[in-house]
Amino acid sequence: MTTDTNLLTEMEEIKTPVKQPTIIEIKDLKISFKTPKGEYVAVKDINLSIKKGEIVSLIGHSGCGKSTLMNAISGMQMPSSGEVTMNGKKITGAGPDRGIVFQNYSLLPWMNVYKNIYEAVDSALKDKTTAEKKEIVEKNLKMVHLYEHKDKLPKQLSGGMKQRVAIARAFAINPSVLLLDEPFGALDALTKGSMHIELLKLWNLDNRNKTIIMVTHDIEEAIFLSDRVVVMNNGPAATIKSIENVNIARPRNKRTIVDIPAYKEVREKLLTQLMVKSSIDDETVGFEE
Amino acid sequence: MNSNSITSKISHAVFYRLGRFFYFLCGFGIMLMLWYLISLTTKGEMPGPFQTMNVFFDLVLHPFYDYGPNEKGIGNQLVSSLIRVSQGFLMGSVLAIPIGILMGSSKMAMNLLNPMIQILKPVSPLAWFPIGLVAFQSAQTSTVFVIFITSLWPTLINTAFGVSTIPSDHKNVAKAFGFSTYKYVTKILIPYTLPHIITGLRLSIGIAWMVIVAAEMLSGGIGIGFFVWDSWNALSLEKVFSAILIIGLVGFVLDKSFKSLQTRFTYDN
Repeated sequence: MTTDTNLLTEMEEIKTPVKQPTIIEIKDLKISFKTPKGEYVAVKDINLSIKKGEIVSLIGHSGCGKSTLMNAISGMQMPSSGEVTMNGKKITGAGPDRGIVFQNYSLLPWMNVYKNIYEAVDSALKDKTTAEKKEIVEKNLKMVHLYEHKDKLPKQLSGGMKQRVAIARAFAINPSVLLLDEPFGALDALTKGSMHIELLKLWNLDNRNKTIIMVTHDIEEAIFLSDRVVVMNNGPAATIKSIENVNIARPRNKRTIVDIPAYKEVREKLLTQLMVKSSIDDETVGFEE
Repeated sequence: MNSNSITSKISHAVFYRLGRFFYFLCGFGIMLMLWYLISLTTKGEMPGPFQTMNVFFDLVLHPFYDYGPNEKGIGNQLVSSLIRVSQGFLMGSVLAIPIGILMGSSKMAMNLLNPMIQILKPVSPLAWFPIGLVAFQSAQTSTVFVIFITSLWPTLINTAFGVSTIPSDHKNVAKAFGFSTYKYVTKILIPYTLPHIITGLRLSIGIAWMVIVAAEMLSGGIGIGFFVWDSWNALSLEKVFSAILIIGLVGFVLDKSFKSLQTRFTYDN
């Protein structure tokens, strides 16, 4: 990897604006699907408001409707009842004001890295000139340190590099909300760690103005990145179990964050909510006598 | 990579190819031997490989001449067959690809057209020959028509299958970034479906090349199929065998060229 991955902290100190307006508002959201066996309720009674510049993680077990909730924000999935608004306007479909990083990168395999980003920019930013679009693509490629790999096809890239292309593509359309659906799920622990730092760096570069909503099932990842962690109940008909604030000052440091009492506290809270059992009960181990 | 491993890689490739060629020669030799034995047991009624080779080289060395309706070079016959196949195949493909795309992208079109296709597909394309005769009043055009019908089904079915299996990941990209329909078709639908379309075309051209021989036996006049039938009438089985060999070789080349197209346009993630 070509990046300065040994950096464990975000770079510069940025003064977070004191009061930010609400950008995403979810009210009494319910999403259900019609199946041959009848109605399947994925999520219900979801109420959540997210402020501009906030990083919020959605966490929960597999199949708890995290991705469904995410799709409701991205506009890929329409609510069965209730509504999702962005800047007060009801979301009725996907739009370039929300950039999405998909779970499995979703790069188009027949296009090189450059083209993958260019086609997205070309579609999302219609009023820019070709030269401006090219400049945006190049800027974003450099930002994720992939400029020298711009002519490669996705299959020639490692998982971490593909993920960076996907992130660059989402950033390139300059959305005010960034939606990440288990963005680092397929990466090894080392790559994952450096990607966390890179993501926060990009967020800082933009003066922490972008709102980031992320689906994950990694507790440490959720705490390190987020301002708030939304814990979901198990599906079907999943609801929000609780919302935990992460009161840890930024910039955060991967190595030292684990010693901060607030980190331990929130980690403990999340663990107890997500894990019914956190140790093996010796008596259940089936030793034959 | 050092030069040593490059040379060893090259020599590996060379040995591999030589090995394949060796097997090819062996297989061919076995076939010739069996052929020779069969020819011996029929006391020469069935021409052996040597008589056939003489005729074969005679045909191949003077491929183009035209001394009247029953006196044309094998090259003339082949070219006329190839022209008919490519006309029918082109027209069939031009119709089948868009309809296949429509069927793949619309459930309604699929439900509407699929039953009809399933019923017409198993019919031997030669059954359409009389219909062509009535419609076009020409045996030559009917032959093209038969090839047209032949070329429809595999291309249609494979194109429809390709379009209907576009992964939702790709579709989501188009949705998320607001691709226009034009961009969706040119940047996602076509690139994803192309290998499937080419598979369809490859199957179509293979069947078309088989059908042309039979169709030209019916239509007469000129063409490799007519040549086979004419040679049988002239009781020259040597010519029939030569024609079989030539038809096989041309079919092989056609198939290989579509196969290489297929590899060229296949992408994996």
